Formats: sequence, structure tokens, C-alpha cells
Amino acid sequence: MNKIHFEQLQETLYHKQLANGLNVYVLPKEGFSKTYVTFTTKYGSVDRTFIPRGGNELVTVPDGIAHFLEHKMFEKEEGDVFQKFSENAAAANAFTSFTRTSYLFSSTTELYENTKTLLDFVQQPYFTEKTVEKEKGIIAQEITMYDDQADWRQYFGTIENLFENHPVRIDIAGTVETIQDITADHLYQCYETFYHPSNMVFFAVGNVDPEEMLKFVEQDQLVKSFEDPEPIVRSFPEEPDHSDEKRKELFMDVSKPKLMIGSKCRNTNMSGKNMLIRELASDVTLDILFGRSSDFFTEAYNQGLIDESFSYEFNLENGFGFAAIGSDTEKPEQLEELILSVLNDAKNNWAITEEQLERIRKKRIGLFMRALNSPEYIANQFTHYNFNDMNLFDVVPVLEGLTLDQLKEAFNDFYYEDGQTVMTIRPTEQSK
Amino acid sequence: MFQKTELQSGVNLYTRQTAQFKTVSLAIKFTAPLTEETAAARTVLANVLEDSTAQYPTRTKLRQALEELYGAVFYTDTGKRGNEHILTVYAECVNEEYLRNPDAAVFEQLLSLVTESLFAPNLVNGEFDQAIVEREKQTVIDRIGSVYNDKTRFANKRMLELIRSGEPASQSAYGTEQSVSTVTGKSLKDTYDRMLKEDTIDIYILGDVDTDQLTDRAHTLLPFASGSRKTVSDLKSSEGKGNVVPKHIREKQDMKQGKLNLAYSTPVTFKHPDYPKMQMMNGVLGGFAHSKLFINVREKESLAYYCSSSYASQYGLLYIMSGIDANEEEKTAKLIEEQIDAIREGSITDLEIHQTLSLLSNSIRSAFDSAKGQIEIYDQYKLLDEDFSANQLIEKWKMVTKEDIQNMASTLTKEITYLLSGREAIDHE
Repeated sequence: MNKIHFEQLQETLYHKQLANGLNVYVLPKEGFSKTYVTFTTKYGSVDRTFIPRGGNELVTVPDGIAHFLEHKMFEKEEGDVFQKFSENAAAANAFTSFTRTSYLFSSTTELYENTKTLLDFVQQPYFTEKTVEKEKGIIAQEITMYDDQADWRQYFGTIENLFENHPVRIDIAGTVETIQDITADHLYQCYETFYHPSNMVFFAVGNVDPEEMLKFVEQDQLVKSFEDPEPIVRSFPEEPDHSDEKRKELFMDVSKPKLMIGSKCRNTNMSGKNMLIRELASDVTLDILFGRSSDFFTEAYNQGLIDESFSYEFNLENGFGFAAIGSDTEKPEQLEELILSVLNDAKNNWAITEEQLERIRKKRIGLFMRALNSPEYIANQFTHYNFNDMNLFDVVPVLEGLTLDQLKEAFNDFYYEDGQTVMTIRPTEQSK
Repeated sequence: MFQKTELQSGVNLYTRQTAQFKTVSLAIKFTAPLTEETAAARTVLANVLEDSTAQYPTRTKLRQALEELYGAVFYTDTGKRGNEHILTVYAECVNEEYLRNPDAAVFEQLLSLVTESLFAPNLVNGEFDQAIVEREKQTVIDRIGSVYNDKTRFANKRMLELIRSGEPASQSAYGTEQSVSTVTGKSLKDTYDRMLKEDTIDIYILGDVDTDQLTDRAHTLLPFASGSRKTVSDLKSSEGKGNVVPKHIREKQDMKQGKLNLAYSTPVTFKHPDYPKMQMMNGVLGGFAHSKLFINVREKESLAYYCSSSYASQYGLLYIMSGIDANEEEKTAKLIEEQIDAIREGSITDLEIHQTLSLLSNSIRSAFDSAKGQIEIYDQYKLLDEDFSANQLIEKWKMVTKEDIQNMASTLTKEITYLLSGREAIDHE
């Protein structure tokens, strides 16, 4: 067992990699009532072309399958797993992202019964044609619900515009049409390939005794049998250094137009500390250019180009990355011009100062400390970082060491000629 | 859980010294009666107070000051509870102990900034800056309008307007676009003066700080003028209108999913002795993933991705919300009503009661794992009992029997079935 103490943060992380390859992490939090436990596989919607375990050729599975599989894990021969969690006073859930599928519960009592339920239900698949068919109606309603959400359509529309080939451009849940092709055999094939313990991370945070929990998970895994770990072969298409669509418009029943500008990263083949530096340098740069204390914000807000919905973000995974900046706006053309002028100005006359960096550095350190109040943030963010060989607890030292050069390098990677897209959603009546 | 100190009649300070969090939190809540006009004016005021202060007279300067305080959080918001309108000033910062520079007086500086926003706001010739007022009016108007873009929320809002028009239950805590547009710099100054003088005020400080010392300084830090602060009288229950014929209303927009919502009224409200029983009833019906609505509407019939109930105890209302294929409206509505009938008839297992008790207990204990959760839950439940604790409430839930749950379901009167759906979906009718 490794014990890693972070003096400044006053946190201690316990870690052990088990014989079957599973990485187990425990972070006790003094004073908390609940324990938040996640069990996550490095498998998301982008993993659609791969060599199945035991096979030797690449296959491509129907869109939306990772998410479909997540839904179906909860149904067993003896019934619904939610029932069991409720019986033991745990609130359970799961989510699928581009690169991860995570199963989780949060409870204030019966920690080990619930941990057992979590490990068992994720490690004992049960799919039949009948249960798979039944789920299609539920997921179709989930997809339809998101189809009506303008913010969702705008965000995923932006990503679709940016990427020509990479499967990040495909909706995580697939479409009502693509999920019709999913069979129980597909689910088993994906399960066998991606749910091996060596491709997974277990994280418990909160009211938990680390040694007891590590021992419990280890015992549980020892009595289950697993095949030997095998490297997973995934295949991704080549992605060009320009956006697929420069501009797209959609009409929806909204009160006000929405504008989002997306910008695609060029270099995403990274991991570890370099990736963490790149991610934080991009976040800090966007804060300086577009944050609430920026000249941009004052100008755009005072001119009525943005409102409280204004936001920006940076996302980076191995294989894809992008920045997105958007707002509801009555004047999408003027807002587009202003955002692009800020970005072009930074590109042509880079002028970020030490003073700006220093201020945002402080802000980001404070935000991170505040986020450490949240067990949910710690578990989810830690796992995201872990899958990319980064360490969540390096965030403060990396922020402390960030340089202006690193900011510039990060900016130049995500903002360049031809790498952008503009996604606009307009109220339906403007289409007439 | 909080240490209470009365600073003057109607102004109370609640402190809690705890090392659970890496931050120190401060919340100041101003409570006044809820009307459309006060909601509008106070929401604009909340935004204006957050924009700038006398010392930091622009948004940029204020935001830069907060960034220098290690990203300290400072914001205002408005909400409603029964017929009360509550303006909250919320601030939070990192405890200096976790910084490389532990001598930085972060919390003290944040405290000054917050008190300044209240006692030394950004006034020009005794009035709020006209340009800022106009800009923030527009922001609030945009916020009110944006509910239209979230069809789930919009459907619920419309349903409430149809059954509780003009009453607190359907009123927005932000006012209406019309009432916001009539706010002026002058009326806003009146609103501000009245808030400081007439509102009841609850102040919360929570974190690893010297709460005794802060309590001693509270009068100087927050020099609220003594005035006559009246608590808002309880909302009169709006039920009891005789035999209401349930409404059935369908409306259309350009959208794909059908939003099927039902509302029931009940005489059991937050301060009613049966309140914990109704919470249990709501849990058995539709609060969780083991509840009857989830199991029957989603898992058995695959009609919906979400189908749940929520209990608006302040208004004596219980809503059911679901997202369905609009062609399945009748089938779904029937199935939903069957679940309520089943509870009325006593078709409730010990397991369902046990699961509901377990998850209600888990959710209240878990809510205390955030600073804001502690403040918000205590602020609500202190109205029932100042010595409120999670365990007391859990004990009350434990006493609830199957018959109690049956009886609670029997108090429900259906008021409306509401469907919001796409234009083409109902064309076949």
C-alpha cells in the first residue's frame, strides 16, 4: 500500500494496485458523514473501433453503445440494482462521457454492503435480447429530452463542427436510429473488452478507513476470477488541423439566439505532467482573456452582447481537445466579432502580463482548494486525471510554476488559422 | 448545530466553528413579504449590489479584488419560501491555513468587501448608478425569459400558473419582465433602504474561524440600524376551494418530447404536524429510483426516461413530472394515477417503506457535507425547531407507518393534468 501525504492540502491518499490490475484509491475526509465511491472504466463513447478481447480484427460497434451498456449494467436476473442500493441507504448513479463510464454510490451507513453491491453489479454482466429491447424505449426518451435542450445541442453541435473524423463528434448516447441496432452480443463484446479490472479505477472518498477499505476490495477481487490482463487496441481515424465546418445554424424554440465559438487543439498526443501544464495553462489564458475581470467581459456585458449564460471552457483528452466560448445573445454577429478580435489580438500581439498571470494563478489555486470540499469533485476529477497519467494533487504545484511562455504555447495550440467554428442557434420565428 | 446570537430584534447571527471544510463561508439573508413588485426590485438590487461598491466602483475592479483573495466567491441571489422573499448575499474563501502564505488575511478582507457592498454601495449623488441599474434590469429580464429554453422547467412553471395564478406558489422570485422594467434608480434606493431597515436578517458564518471573536465584533461589522422588523406572516393555505374539477390542458411548442406533468394539492404543508409523513409518501411514490413511478412508468413500461414526484411543502402541492412520447399521454397519465391509487389502497410493502426511510436519511445527512447545505437546511428547519438536527427528523420518519402513508395519499386532490408537446405530435387528434 502506498500512502501519499500532501502537506499543504492536509490530505492523505492511499493507493494499491491489485494482482488483477485494478487500481484502488482511498482518500479519507475528516468530519464528513458520507462516503462517495466510484468504479470507473476507461471506456467511453469515442471507443467505437477496437479489437475485441480474444479477436484479432478491428470491429466498429453501433453509436451510443457505451452509454447503452451503462444503462443495462443495472438490470440483473434477480431485478434492478437500484433496489438493493436503496435498501442499504445508498444513492446510486452512473454516467458515460467521451472517455469514461463511471458507476457510483454515496452513502452515510452500510459502506461495505454498498461497496460489495457496486463491485458485484459492475463485474457480473447480464444481458438478454429482451432486456436490451426494453431499454430502447427509455433511452429513446433520454435522447429526445436532450434533443429539446438548446444548450446541449449547441455544445455538441460545436464539437461536431470542429471534428471531421474523430468519434468525439458523435453524440454520446447515439441517436434513436443507431441504438436500434444494438444487441446483447454487442454489449457482451464491449463488456469483455473494456471492463477488465486492469482498465478500471476504484476510488472511495469521505468517511472511510483507508486500510479497511483497501483490504475489503482486495478480498473481494481475490475470490472472483478474471482472465489475464491484455492491452486494449483502439483505433482512431486521422484528424486534420482544421475544423470540419466553419459555421452552422440551427433553429429551435428559444427565447434568444445563442452563439458558441469552438477552437480545436492541434497537439493532443500528450499525457502526464505535460498534459496537466497544457490544461491549466489553457484555463488560465481563457480566464485572463474572457474572465469576469477581463476587458472583454466589461465591454461585452456593458454593450449587452452577453448575459449570465456566458461561459467558456477548455477540454483536453488524449486524441482530442478544444476550447469553447459562448453566450445567449441578441447580437450574435457582434459578439462573434468581439470574441474573434480578442483571440486574434492575442495571437498577433500577445500581451499577457506577469501581473495578470499572478492574479489568475491565485484565483485558480483558491478555486481548487474550494473544490476539495467536494467528495464528488475529488473522485471524478482524480479518475479523469489518472486515466491520462496525471495527478490531481499536482494541480497546485503546477499552477505555482506556470510561466507566460507556457500560456502562449497553450494558446497557440488551440487558436490558429482555420481551427475554429461558429455555432448559432436562432429562435424558430427568425426562420420564417 | 449553529450557535445563535440575537444582535437586535429581527437580526440574528448563527455561527458554527468546524474544520470540516477548507473554506470559510458567510451568508446574509434578508427576508421580506413576497409580491411581484418586491421580487422584481429586490432581484435587480441583488444584482446591483454584486456589481460594484464605493471602494471598487467598477465590475472589473471588484472582480480583480476577489481574484486577489484567492478566487473568493461573492454573489447574491433571490429566492422565495411560502410568501417570503429572501435576498441572500453569499461569500466564501479559502482558509488561509491552506495557503503558502498563511499571513494573508483573506477572510477579513472578504468580510470587509461584503459589508461594504451592503453599507457603502456604489452610489452616485445618493442614488445607484443609472447605467448599472439599466444593465442589471436587462440581465434579470433575460434570466426570467430564459426559463422558456428549458422545456422541463417551463412546463412546470406553466402548470403552476394555470392552477395558482397570481399566488406565491406560481410567482417567480425574480418578478416578471413587466415589473422589472418599471424599476428606477430612485425606487431601487427605496428598496435598498427598506431592506436594511425593515427586513428580518439572518447571518451565517461557518468554518474554521474564531466564531466567538466574530460574534463580539458583529455589531460593529454589520451595523444594521435598529428598526421595526416584522416576520412575514404564514401563507394561508390556498386549498379548500371545494370540489375542484381537475383541469386538463394541452399546450404546444416546437419541440420533440412531450412533458406530462400532474399537480395535486394537499392541506399538509411544511409546518403541519404530518409533514414528515408526507415526505415519506412522496418518497414511496416518486422521489427515488426504487419508487413506484420509476419502477412502473420507466422500468416496467419503458414510457419515460424520467418520471418523478416532488413535494412543494411550502405551498401544499405535489407535482409529478415526466418526459414521454406525446402519443402515450393517456396511457402514462393513467399509470401515474394508478400508483397514487395503489398507495391510497395500502399497496405498500415494508421494503418500500424501509428503502424510502433509508434514502431520506441518507440525503439529509449527506446534505450536511457541504457548507451551503448546512446553512440552507438549517435556515429552513430552524423555523420548526431552533435545535434542529438531522437525527430528529430521521426519528420522525422512522415513526411513519403504512397507514400514515395511505392517509397522506388520501389527502391529495388532483388539480391538473398538463401536457406540453411538439406541434406535429398531436396532429392526429
